[in-house]
Amino acid sequence: MTDPAFFDGVIKILFVCVLITAAYIITTKNLISLVRVYSLQSLVLVAIATALFWREGAAVLAGIAVVTLVTKVIVIPYFIAAVQEKIRIKRDIEFHYLSPTSSLFISIALMLVIYIALSNVLAGTPAKGSLFFFGAVIGLSLVLMGMMVTFSRKKAITKVLGYLSMENGVLLFGLFATELPFIIEFLIVIDLIILVILTTILTIGIDSTLEEYHNRLHRFYLWEEQEEAP
Amino acid sequence: MIELLFFLILALFTLGTVVPLAGAKGDRRSIRVFSLACTGAASALLAAFALLVIIPGTTFALPLWQPFPGISLDLYVDRLGAFFLLLIGTVAACTAVYSSGYTEHMEGGNRRNILCGGTALFVLAMTLVVASHNTFSFLFFWELMAAVSFILVMYEYRDPGTTKAGIYYFVMTQLSTLFVMLGVIALFVLTGSFAMAPLAITPASAPLATAAFLALFFGFAIKAGIIPFHKWLFFAHPASPSPVSALMSGVMLKVAVYGLLRFILDVFSPDLWWGVLILVFGIASAVLGVIYAFKDHDIKGLLAYSSIENVGIIFTGIGLFVIFSCEGLTLLATISLLAALFHSLNHALFKSLLFLTAGSVVHATGTRDIEKMGGLAKNMPYTSVLFFTGAIAIAALPPLNGFASELLLYIAFFHSVTVVDPLLKVLLFICLALFALTSALSAACFVKAFSSVFLAQPRSDAATGAHEVSRSMLAGPAVLAAACVLLGVFACQIFIAAGYVIPFPDLLLVSILLLFMAGLTYLVLYFTASREARISETWGCGTKSQSAITEYTGHGFSEPIVTIFASVYRTKKSSTKTYSDKYNCLFGGGTAEIRLVAFFEEYIYRPIGTAAMKGATIVARMQNGCLDTYLLYVFIAVIGVIVFLGVMA
Repeated sequence: MTDPAFFDGVIKILFVCVLITAAYIITTKNLISLVRVYSLQSLVLVAIATALFWREGAAVLAGIAVVTLVTKVIVIPYFIAAVQEKIRIKRDIEFHYLSPTSSLFISIALMLVIYIALSNVLAGTPAKGSLFFFGAVIGLSLVLMGMMVTFSRKKAITKVLGYLSMENGVLLFGLFATELPFIIEFLIVIDLIILVILTTILTIGIDSTLEEYHNRLHRFYLWEEQEEAP
Repeated sequence: MIELLFFLILALFTLGTVVPLAGAKGDRRSIRVFSLACTGAASALLAAFALLVIIPGTTFALPLWQPFPGISLDLYVDRLGAFFLLLIGTVAACTAVYSSGYTEHMEGGNRRNILCGGTALFVLAMTLVVASHNTFSFLFFWELMAAVSFILVMYEYRDPGTTKAGIYYFVMTQLSTLFVMLGVIALFVLTGSFAMAPLAITPASAPLATAAFLALFFGFAIKAGIIPFHKWLFFAHPASPSPVSALMSGVMLKVAVYGLLRFILDVFSPDLWWGVLILVFGIASAVLGVIYAFKDHDIKGLLAYSSIENVGIIFTGIGLFVIFSCEGLTLLATISLLAALFHSLNHALFKSLLFLTAGSVVHATGTRDIEKMGGLAKNMPYTSVLFFTGAIAIAALPPLNGFASELLLYIAFFHSVTVVDPLLKVLLFICLALFALTSALSAACFVKAFSSVFLAQPRSDAATGAHEVSRSMLAGPAVLAAACVLLGVFACQIFIAAGYVIPFPDLLLVSILLLFMAGLTYLVLYFTASREARISETWGCGTKSQSAITEYTGHGFSEPIVTIFASVYRTKKSSTKTYSDKYNCLFGGGTAEIRLVAFFEEYIYRPIGTAAMKGATIVARMQNGCLDTYLLYVFIAVIGVIVFLGVMA
């Protein structure tokens, strides 16, 4: 069961899954499935961390898997789903600078560029060509793809998801390329939770009804739909 | 002993700066007089100190302060430096005497204290620039000089015209400092030190040395007001108080000349084309400067353009010096250099004389427009005599000092037949022709200036009510006028005393002959002419009575030459006429307009300004306040870093 080649195969399949979810996050217009795909992506990361833990046997990896599972698969998607129910926007069809198709092409180009750049950086080390190298490339690509989501979408909630996806990329990069200390990973997760809670508060408000908050946000031009109105 | 004298000078200047600034709250005359007395005494001592260095031909070194190893503020005065110190000292002393009267008539309350303190600091800064031993202290004091002169220009800061002039001046002077700094940095890269030492040029270092020279040349040319970097003079001089204009035009421009000379003589070993470059810029400034001066009707603007012309003449001398040195004609090179130096001194004297007397005239009439003056010779006899002396000197009439220095330059030009290279010979003869044109136009220009200001009848009420200025405002210019006469008459003797044997006519003899002829003419006329007094009016083409309105105006005088040089001025004439009868015989009314296109503004300054605005708009568009855009920049930057790492690894 502990044959490294088997785990390598599993992890490679999981990498493909990560890329598929990232591509979906870039292109989809449906907000509900966006959150679901994000939690799926996080779940794939949990699976990768677990597989690595099986292979390496380091307790840190198990910790990361548990923390990711609790926060990114359960808590954060729950909050965001709650927000979405309240604001009753189901689709994000506004794009800035990049259309979904061109985003996809650019992400392919990005992956190639990162692959070439990283193989130049790691040219002298034994890491080149290994699983860890692929993990680093995919982690970095995921960071940049998440970033593309943050600047190419107009809705605040999609931007948050893009940011969360970026963080997933950092986690992936940390799992493979560097030994990210567990405490830092934990702190990043806490940051994320606070970010999501803040977004929730900003979007629906903790002390007011939705209508009141709409007006308030409108005053500060934070409510995207009404910003467009003259 | 001589160190003590120099420290005394520095202390007096510092005292003259600090006291009025410390007492700036109260508007007390005594403080200003004390400050100006300090400045005047220090300047006079500076002139004496300079003579003590020049006459025996010694040098004087004084390490001042070394904040870091390799960076120090050191002073060093040799004969060249002392010559410029003499120039600064003489003009500043006379200006200080003049200011003691002038400031008391000025508006501005206790700002006048700042003016007095600033003047002292300004003169001190120029002294220290000239006395700098290394490029670091040169740059340091150069910037001090620029900053203080900006404050002085901004004296009338509430006037919108002054604000514009101040901004213009500030931009140009900082541009000058920038270029000088680039030159100094290039020299530092070449030699590894800030010393002003001869540069050993290898083929590898030649491009950088050329770049250093070009940077320094443009830095000094901007400060000296060489065309096309001249525009600030025209704004800054009329806007600033007259003593400040006198100091800036008379002395500060010469500090730029000093800088150029110092670097050419001590640091670089110039190529022939450097000389041609300096010569071409110089002669272009001389011709265009005087052509622009001729059409100007603001008396201080006219003097500002005339400064451009004279700096052009000085640069012509420097250019000839470099050319003749490269051709191996040592005597001609000496004559050219002497001409440039002597004309620097002469221009400092007569231009500050003219600016000071023009200040008196402006003070008396309350206007700078020469068309509103006229007839001032009757009300301001002493001022008119002083202005007349300056005008003769600047028009280069014998036997005054302007004639002496321009004659030196002509001698150098005439002897250029000995140059072998035919192309160079052609260039030099073209320059000679342009230089002759400059002299003639300069004479015409000051005929216009003097006659429309001082002669005929007053053309405005202000000119009618003008009165002679106070004694101190006459004393300062009087010393300068005397110096103009003496330097002209005894030019030959001065050259011999300084140890230069050159083919130069004895102007003393010329002046004695001139005086003799004048006396003889007077005597002959006195004894032969009829003594009967005859009172009648000039024939006025049949008009009944003649008033000031029928006078020949400055505009009228300059019209023919403006027409001749219409292609330079880019004049556009337009007129409309209406007639009172159907046969178009009786002239009913109309308008006429002569517009001068400001060539350099239209074709050089404005395009640069527009391009800068366009660039700024593009940059401003990048800053659009949209979060997504900033994220996009971060994204591009991250990709840039990744690609950079990939390529570099």
